[in-house]
Amino acid sequence: MGALLQNPTQAEQDLLARFALEPVDGERQAAAERFARAGLPSRRNESWHYTDLRAKLRAAPPLAARPDAAALARAKEKLAPSDRLSIVTIDGYFIPELSGDVSSTPGLSVRALKADEPALKSLSLGADDALLDLNAAFAQGGVAIEIAAGAQIEKILELVALDGASGAQSRFARHLVVLGEGARASLMETRAEGAEGFGDGALFVALGRGAQLDYACRSLEGGAVEVQNFVARLGAEAQLRAVSLLAGAPFLRRQYFISCDGANAQIHLSGATLLRGREHADVTLTLDHDAPACLSRETFKYVLADQANGVFQGKIVVPPHAQKTDGKMLCRALLLSDDAAMSAKPELEIFADDVACGHGAACAKLDASQLFYMESRGIPRAEAQAILVEAFAAEAFDDLKDDSLRDLLNADLTLLLADGAFT
Amino acid sequence: MLEINNLHVSIAGKKIIDGLSLTVADGEVAAIMGPNGSGKSTLSYVIAGRADYEVTEGSIRLDGVDLLDKTPSERAALGLFLVFQYPLEIPGVATMTFLKAALAAQRKARDEAELSTPDFMKRVRAAASKLNIPQDMLKRPVNLGFSGGEKKRMEILQMALLEPKFAILDEMDSGLDIDALRVCAEGVNALRSKDRGLLVITHYQRLLDYIAPDSVHVMSKGRIVKSGGPDLALELEKSGYADYVDEAA
Repeated sequence: MGALLQNPTQAEQDLLARFALEPVDGERQAAAERFARAGLPSRRNESWHYTDLRAKLRAAPPLAARPDAAALARAKEKLAPSDRLSIVTIDGYFIPELSGDVSSTPGLSVRALKADEPALKSLSLGADDALLDLNAAFAQGGVAIEIAAGAQIEKILELVALDGASGAQSRFARHLVVLGEGARASLMETRAEGAEGFGDGALFVALGRGAQLDYACRSLEGGAVEVQNFVARLGAEAQLRAVSLLAGAPFLRRQYFISCDGANAQIHLSGATLLRGREHADVTLTLDHDAPACLSRETFKYVLADQANGVFQGKIVVPPHAQKTDGKMLCRALLLSDDAAMSAKPELEIFADDVACGHGAACAKLDASQLFYMESRGIPRAEAQAILVEAFAAEAFDDLKDDSLRDLLNADLTLLLADGAFT
Repeated sequence: MLEINNLHVSIAGKKIIDGLSLTVADGEVAAIMGPNGSGKSTLSYVIAGRADYEVTEGSIRLDGVDLLDKTPSERAALGLFLVFQYPLEIPGVATMTFLKAALAAQRKARDEAELSTPDFMKRVRAAASKLNIPQDMLKRPVNLGFSGGEKKRMEILQMALLEPKFAILDEMDSGLDIDALRVCAEGVNALRSKDRGLLVITHYQRLLDYIAPDSVHVMSKGRIVKSGGPDLALELEKSGYADYVDEAA
């Protein structure tokens, strides 16, 4: 592989040394070599300017082991019964024993991810990122969720990510979701891998022609250093509504690599990020309008208390052949403290001449007049603030078509605000 | 009873209210009239407890309780209500949710039992129908995209629901056409009672044709310069404020 990286950090040395011990195949080898050349991204990489992973990740904790009986027992305790169809993973490994029974749901298949999954290969094309490479090099386990053409899955599928052992570990989960032509589903990803260690997980989504996916990610307890990758490709007329609720993130980067491959695809991406203390969360997205007449809407909301640090980077790319593109991107931050910081960098790269694209970013405090109005009706200040914060953040969930998915996120949000940390 | 005694108020070092005294008894409807810039709206905000104003002297009491060391929500729980001249829009908060939060908070502050949802709904519906407020308006975010008339009707609805002991109407007639003014005024008149005092702040006699006051006070340069009965308002409509502006200077 060659020592291509100059002055590797301890974490980079840990990762590269560990990789040298693993038996590898072609794909992993190639990804690892790319990582060995690029290393962990730092402020010098433009797209990581506000999130210096190289400085933050001092050492890479040991790789999470395949979950044993003790890990399963531990995970079982964490699982609460629900009316959703749960798909449980521990440190990225699919655990059928703890997952719901899909055999009675026609058109739905849930299985462990294969080592060489052709769909994954085509999905990763074009996404050039050191953390995706790292994920490809180390990926263990994984689950593949496939929905047959035309199938309409009524129940919410819930992908639950749990941890197997206490203590700091490195995790490289990688999952695949494929919806065939005209299929429709709602997927919730519940991330609960504990507050320690390093995570570099990836979810790959492929939507066939006319397929529709409502997707919600609840990430309320991030790892000490965590990167979440979301890679999606949309066929013609496909619709993706993807929403995230991010909180409890000591140091989180959520990356979207999305491509509209077919004409008339529609994508709604949005998220609410609530940070306190010294938490740091970065949402960075690249959206390629690689076909004509696609529509995209991105709305990302941040609520920042204490010394929290929010980052939003969004880039919409419209190549010459993507005429009639309709894209709008918006980032809004609510700063609840003078010490909180928000960095927003929305970008448009437009090479077609018949498009309607726009972007905007705004940071503000809570509106004093609105607060006074509510207080004058008898609502105490802290409660009035909580109501305004909730209304501000919840707007990010409006794009979801699935009401019950939206209700779940709203319930999470209410709970998150209940302890008064965001007033 | 609302008692304001020798009130002095500044904003950013500039004196707005300059030794104002006024008493409004239970059941009384008092009107304050005055030219632009006389401090009428400041007075309503100071009574309701808005920040940014510095009270340098004097007192405001509601039924003997000093309001000045109370937060706006505490004042509301004590029974004070302000009809805003420009009601605020609150995107993302459904009107029903807002009303419920307000009523629940006030009842909690007064150690009263929580109202059940059906009881609450019944009260809101009853109050809304009297003011010609359709149900779907209650589902919309607070005041968002409402017309001037709809916003004011919503203010009166809140007043009816919260049943304050004392209400201040800050230029309720601004932004209202004649029909909307009549509906709002009827709503207010329905809430007149021997236990409830009202302070009606306005530029014009017109509003007082609909809400007949017991007493009329002329405000200029931050103080009351003349007090009288309902006739005083008619007199002002004829002669204007010029005499009183000079008098205060």
